[in-house]
Amino acid sequence: MTALALRGLGKDYGARTAVGAIDLDVARGECLGLLGPNGAGKTTTISMACGVLTPTRGSVEIAGIPLAKRPREAKAKLGLVPQDLAIYDELSAVQNLKYVGALYGLAGARLASRIDWALGVVGLRDRAREPVKQFSGGMKRRLNLAAGVLHAPEVLILDEPTVGVDPQSRHHIFETVKQLRRDGMTIVYTSHYMEEVEALCDRVAIVDAGAIVALGAIAELIAAHAGQGLALSLAGAPAVIDAAARAAEAHGSVTRDGARLRVMPRAGLAPLVAAIEGAGATITMIESHQATLETAFLALTGHGLRDAA
Amino acid sequence: MIGAAIRKDMWLLLRDRGALISLFILPILFMLAFGSMFPRGSDRGRPRTIPIWHAPGDARGEAVARALAATEGFTPVAVASADEVRRRVARKQDDAGLVVPASGPVELVIDLAAPVQFRGAVQGALTAVIMRASAPVAMEKLPPLFEARSPPGVARPLDHITTFQITVPGNAVLFGFFIALTTAMSYVTERRTGTWRRLLAAPVPRWKALLATLVPYYVVGVAQLTFLFGIGVVAFGMQIAGAVSALVALSLAVVLCAVCLGLGFAAFATSEKQLGAMGSVVLLIMGLLGGCMFPRLQMPPAMRSIGLAVPHGWALDGYYDVLVRQGTTVMDIAPSIGALVAFAVVFAGVGLWRFRFEA
Repeated sequence: MTALALRGLGKDYGARTAVGAIDLDVARGECLGLLGPNGAGKTTTISMACGVLTPTRGSVEIAGIPLAKRPREAKAKLGLVPQDLAIYDELSAVQNLKYVGALYGLAGARLASRIDWALGVVGLRDRAREPVKQFSGGMKRRLNLAAGVLHAPEVLILDEPTVGVDPQSRHHIFETVKQLRRDGMTIVYTSHYMEEVEALCDRVAIVDAGAIVALGAIAELIAAHAGQGLALSLAGAPAVIDAAARAAEAHGSVTRDGARLRVMPRAGLAPLVAAIEGAGATITMIESHQATLETAFLALTGHGLRDAA
Repeated sequence: MIGAAIRKDMWLLLRDRGALISLFILPILFMLAFGSMFPRGSDRGRPRTIPIWHAPGDARGEAVARALAATEGFTPVAVASADEVRRRVARKQDDAGLVVPASGPVELVIDLAAPVQFRGAVQGALTAVIMRASAPVAMEKLPPLFEARSPPGVARPLDHITTFQITVPGNAVLFGFFIALTTAMSYVTERRTGTWRRLLAAPVPRWKALLATLVPYYVVGVAQLTFLFGIGVVAFGMQIAGAVSALVALSLAVVLCAVCLGLGFAAFATSEKQLGAMGSVVLLIMGLLGGCMFPRLQMPPAMRSIGLAVPHGWALDGYYDVLVRQGTTVMDIAPSIGALVAFAVVFAGVGLWRFRFEA
C-alpha cells in the first residue's frame, strides 16, 4: 500500500523549471532516501509533498488522501522535520510542542501525553521547561524532530535532520529515526550524509536538475551506476597526465587527484588502459576499490560544484 | 488553533523586553514629555496669567485690569513696574503682558517672533480687552454684538482642556500604530526561522494561518491602548468627555487598521533589518502628518488636509471629539471609524495581494 504518492509533480518559477515532473511511490513502512546535490530540487519536491508549496503540475496523495482536494486530512497524516530549526527560541520545549500540537488539533491530556512521549523519544524530558535558546544545536535539532512526530504521523519527511549537530546528537537522531521506522512509520529522509542513507533506507531516489535520475534499492543503484571502481597511478609530464585524464573521460567517470585518476569505467579495463597509454602516460599501478552509494551518486550527478541553494 | 497562536505570541511578547518597552513604557514617557514641554498652550486648564502695570490710581489702567479679569482664559497679575512686565515676558515666564501708561497707547508686550498661530490669538484677545476697557460706554450696557456658539451638531467641549487631552491620544495613536511593525516583524521572523513552513505544513487553512498571526497582535494592540488610556485617566487626569463606548469603538478600529498595516508591511518586507529601518520611518512620518506629535489644528490648512491622508489624522480627530466634546457618541465619530476601517481594508487588500505564503 502506498503511503506517499507523487504523480507528475512539478514546479515552475516563471520560465525556470525547478522540478520537472516527478513520479514517486513510497510504500507504507518504507524508508526512502532522497538524495541530490544542492539546488537539485529536493526541498522543492518535499515542500510540494507537504503542502507548503503549491505545485505547478501534478498531484500528491498522502496515505491515499489527495492533498489538493482534502488538504486538512492529508496534512494530518504527515509530519515534517524541516531543515530550518522551526522552533521558537524564546519558548521552552513544552511551550513549543504545545503550540505545534494545537496546530494538529491535539489538546488536553492527549496533548500532554504526546508531548511527554515526544520529549522522551528525543531525550529532552529533563530539559522540557528550559527556554530553547539555552539548548545546544543538537538539542534544538532533537526538539525539531519531536515537533515533527508529535502528532504520530503516518508519513514523516525529514529534511537534513542531522545537519550541523554534534556526533552524540546525530547518533541519537539517527537511532530515533530507526526506531520510528521499526514502529512502522513511513519515512522520507534527505541528507548529505551518504552513510546515514545507506544504513537507514530501503530505497534511494537521486534527484538532479528537478528530475529523479535514479531510483531503486541501494545495492541496485551501486551496481547499476557505480560498479567496481579503479584507481590508476600515472607517470609522465603534467601535460601528458592532462591528456591522459581527458582520454580516460571518454571511457568512464573520472576523478583526478594529481597524477592519480579514479575511474568508473563504462566498458572494460582494456579500452581505458589503451586510451591512457595512447595519450602518452605510463600506468604505474592499478587498484580496484569498493563502490559506495557516494560513488553512484557522483557518477549520476557529476563532480561539478553545486552552490545553488 | 487561534487560541494557541494567541497564547504562543503572548509568551513570546512577555519575553521580548524591547517590544514591551516600546509598546507600553515609551508612550508613557512621551506623553509625559510632550505634556510638559509645550511652552505655549500647556495651561493644563488654568487661565493664562498676564502681568500688568499701570500708574497707581490710573483710571484707564484699572479699567484694563478689570476687563482682563473679566475675560475668560486670562488672570491679571499686577506687577511693580513696566520693566517687570517686560522682564517676565522676555524670560518667557508669561506669554504676554500689558503696560498701561498714564497717557498714550497701551503697550502690549509679546514676543513678536512667536508663531502667528499662537501670537495672533493672544494678541487679538488682549486687543479686545484694551478696546473694551477704553470704550467710552460700558460694553456690558450695549446690546450684544456677537455670541460665540459651536455650529449645530458639534458638541460643547470640556470647560478646561488640558494638554494631556491632546498628548495622551497623540502618543497612544503614534505608538499604537507601532503594533504594525511588531505584526510584520513576526511574519518576517516566522518566514526566516522556518516556523511559517511548519504552519503551512500543518492541517490549517491558509486564511487561518494568516489570521493566527494577526489576531494575537490585535489582542496586544487592544491591551496596549487600554493600558495607555488607562494611564492617561489615572495618572495624567485625562477626561473622557464623550461616551466610553465611542472610545472603545474608535480604539478597536485603530488597532484593526494598525494590524492590517502590519500585514501590508509584511507583504513588502524581505528582512527584519529592512523592516525595522523602513517601517519605523514610515510610521513616524505618518504620525507626524497625522498630528500625533504636533496638533493638526495648529498646522497650516494644507498640512491639515494632508493629515487626513493617513489613518493617524482620522484617529486623532475621533479621539479629540471623544475626549474633549461632551456627549460624543459612536455615531458622532462614525466618519473617523469609517475612514479607519477603509484604511484597514486597503492595507489588508494590498497586503493580501502581495503576500507570499510560500516564501
